[in-house]
Amino acid sequence: MTAPSRSAYAVVVVGAGIIGLYIAYHLARAGAGPVLVIDRGFLSSGASGRNGGGVRQQWETRATVRLARESVAAYRRFGRDFGYNIWFRQSGYLFLAETDVELARLRGVHDLVVSEGLPSQVLDASGVARLLDGIAPGSVVGGTYLATDGTLYPFPAVWGVYEAARALGVEVALGVEALGVEAPDGRVVAVVTNRGRVTTPVVVNAAGGWSAEFSRRAGLAVPNVATRHEILATEPLKPFLDPMVVRASDGLYFSQTMRGEIVGGLTLRNGSGIEAGMPSSPRFLKEMSRALVRLVPRLGAVGVLRAWSGFYDDTPDGFPVIGEDPRQKGFVHANGFGGHGFMLAPAVSLRAAHAVMGEPVDLDPNAFSPARFLTNDRPTSVERLQLG
Amino acid sequence: MAGAPERQFLFNRASRDARSEETLLSALTRGRFPVVQRSIRYHRPRGPVCGVGYCTGCLVRVNGRPNVRACRYLPSEGDVVTTENSWPSPRFDVLGLLDFLFPGGIDTLHGFRRPAWAVRSYHRVVRRLAGYGTVPDLGASASLRQAPVRRTVDVAIVGGGAAGTAVAQLLVQAGRHPLVLDRQLVPPSIAGVDVAARTTVTFLPPPTGEGDGRFALLGFEEPARGVEIHARHVVVATGGYDASLLFGGNDRPGVVTADGAFGLLDRDGRPPFERAVVVGGGPRADRVLERVGDAVVAVVAPGGIDPSVVRRASEQQIPLYPRSLVVSASGRSRVRSLALRARGSGARFTIPCDAVVLAHRRLPTPQLFFQVGARMEWRAGTGAYYPVLSDNAETTVPGVFAVGATAGILPEGFTESCTRVTGTIAGSPTNHAPELPRGSQGGPSELEGYYRELWREPRTGRWIACPCEDVLLDEVEDAARRGYRGIEVVKRYTGLGTGLCQGRYCLPDALLILSLLEERPPPEVGYITQRPPVVPTPLAAFAAMEDPAAAPGGS
Repeated sequence: MTAPSRSAYAVVVVGAGIIGLYIAYHLARAGAGPVLVIDRGFLSSGASGRNGGGVRQQWETRATVRLARESVAAYRRFGRDFGYNIWFRQSGYLFLAETDVELARLRGVHDLVVSEGLPSQVLDASGVARLLDGIAPGSVVGGTYLATDGTLYPFPAVWGVYEAARALGVEVALGVEALGVEAPDGRVVAVVTNRGRVTTPVVVNAAGGWSAEFSRRAGLAVPNVATRHEILATEPLKPFLDPMVVRASDGLYFSQTMRGEIVGGLTLRNGSGIEAGMPSSPRFLKEMSRALVRLVPRLGAVGVLRAWSGFYDDTPDGFPVIGEDPRQKGFVHANGFGGHGFMLAPAVSLRAAHAVMGEPVDLDPNAFSPARFLTNDRPTSVERLQLG
Repeated sequence: MAGAPERQFLFNRASRDARSEETLLSALTRGRFPVVQRSIRYHRPRGPVCGVGYCTGCLVRVNGRPNVRACRYLPSEGDVVTTENSWPSPRFDVLGLLDFLFPGGIDTLHGFRRPAWAVRSYHRVVRRLAGYGTVPDLGASASLRQAPVRRTVDVAIVGGGAAGTAVAQLLVQAGRHPLVLDRQLVPPSIAGVDVAARTTVTFLPPPTGEGDGRFALLGFEEPARGVEIHARHVVVATGGYDASLLFGGNDRPGVVTADGAFGLLDRDGRPPFERAVVVGGGPRADRVLERVGDAVVAVVAPGGIDPSVVRRASEQQIPLYPRSLVVSASGRSRVRSLALRARGSGARFTIPCDAVVLAHRRLPTPQLFFQVGARMEWRAGTGAYYPVLSDNAETTVPGVFAVGATAGILPEGFTESCTRVTGTIAGSPTNHAPELPRGSQGGPSELEGYYRELWREPRTGRWIACPCEDVLLDEVEDAARRGYRGIEVVKRYTGLGTGLCQGRYCLPDALLILSLLEERPPPEVGYITQRPPVVPTPLAAFAAMEDPAAAPGGS
């Protein structure tokens, strides 16, 4: 545990995951004054240290495609900007369709992605088989493939942004939990932690799976829901699979990492939420193994090395929540990323930093602003491609 | 040699033979220390270390299935066995050059970022270097498809060693019907007791509900048959294993644990070495001298040496070196000598040898306790975690019991602990029983002081903090220097503990090392979450358990 060194900061960021650290980094670069990042766990203890490392630009809405494209560009530069090698490997994302209806949906994504200038391809079953060696015959009707999507190794990305932020004067206090916010007259004046009270006019909720809980502690009801997702890794093998593979029907996804492990998961029906804690479940191990072996039968002899779980921070419309809460001045949201915070982090954290500094935010307010949940109007669009 | 060969197999296209109940590793040894693997990053020659199916030292491809542990496989007639991850052979591997080209280590965290145009090539090359075996053949995976074993029992006993056997027999006497799950390839036969042989329990999730089948144990029967046992009570008797030790060149082929040395013996009990240095001065070292004393040239201990070991060593005229530091091993594809220094102000000296047998420390296997959510306590004397136990040897999870070495119960208390467990399960618990004799709770382990002193030694050779992932001690120190604190973060920073043994061999020493670097006691350094499965479990085994066509069977 490391206690904050000062009693007052210009900004306190709650959550030292990739989003919180990136925001702090952008704030420090912009000279926003003393910035404190707190986290109740250790560095990378949340979803930033538990995800599968996928980075894709295939989405159902133009806004998300653009943020993802910008993030891909940032991750390509990451090694030069931050001094850490995240092994961002652009070997593509392969989406699988088992039915014509699913393929039609993927075709819609393809059309949008192509209109944004990205080299997406629609594949038939044999085209899929060329990219996924050993796929069981007859298991798909086709799919889509975007070669510039890819995978990265999440940990060094956390280390890189952490060290860069600290080098700019950001203070990161670990083992410090945010218990609430003091906001008389609807204006933030302090964050209360288990290590004492910290004076600040701005608090950023970048707590990932715990963001809804922290918003509630600040007296703000939010529609975010944390859901538990599980993942497994196998023994390392020599390379045989290049792209990240995602199945449209059940969200089965897997890729082979730089280390040779097959890492993947799937969305369990009737999954559990944050109250269940973070253990692995026998059901996941069985369902995931069966799905993987049915799709690629030759993997049956591969050993499962370990399994773990983490939390998605889901919103009703599939868009993240970025911006100041209209009910409490100084309370800025940077959460609700579903299972995709890591892949969007560079682009969205820059916008969140702009929101903190009161600068214009280059985002569609109907899609991203916290205010959208406070009116009775239906959201104008919904991002439903919450897979992999 | 007794008997004609009973089965023939091909090893890298040469015909070999194996006898009944002989492991593949033993068949590949036959008097010559086997080197069948290369390490994952530096392609250093690696030999078998552990002998019990955890380390990466004996992985081979068998009939198209990669990463088969030779020590856990009984050959069949006509098997095709090949080595992996080396060219042209494990003893002469071209990529072994990496070890010489990168004397300071390969920094995959900061290196290989520039120039931008070369990054794609770096990815291709590094990817090819990673991994052990290649993807399985379709046939190998298809042959593993088997209906799972499903049973519901009153008491599941995990482990058929001394303590597991004793509990099983007492329960049978009390009129119960326990099932013993034992992972040995040649199963123990316990009179009147039901034994699931060659079966490893890899996952004990927290209980669900209160019913008869509240515990659902998952595991597999070698080679890949899924096993699912529902039980009302679980007795964990998983025993212990011999720990590794950190020193320069600690990964040289020939450096083995006591278990590993026993696993290499041929059918006549002969080891593939003639001049071994035994490290340790307690009961385990005594056992090594008893079994292979003829091939031992010295006994070295971090601390004192037990009178029984002194007696046996003097009978066999083996010199003793109590209170000594093991500084480094030299050699390349086989250890050739061991450099030592008497603790305090002694001078360095060298003992020529062809093996180093680690018998200094026996550790419990606590994974199932962590998985099921039992409360654990750190015992500084042994430097390990044990379950918190009631007087009846029950953990804090009602229905889960612990007996034997994994519970930290000393041998003199084995029988008493088994009696109490049986009494509790069979409905006649003992009240106000005296405390079971367990290992020392207080006082830092001897090894803490040992490593503090070793720290000041000039370093020679590579110090491998995590052999599975080839993580160097320098990398662990670098993480600490950069301010990454705690084992969970150091694990993610360096990769230590993420390899095939899942931290069994690196974690116990890493806790002590980090305790020195971070200047706080080992329990504050934390512990790596013990994730399922306990040992790598074939996807086919889990997949079959999900198959709705396979109807559950009763007991």
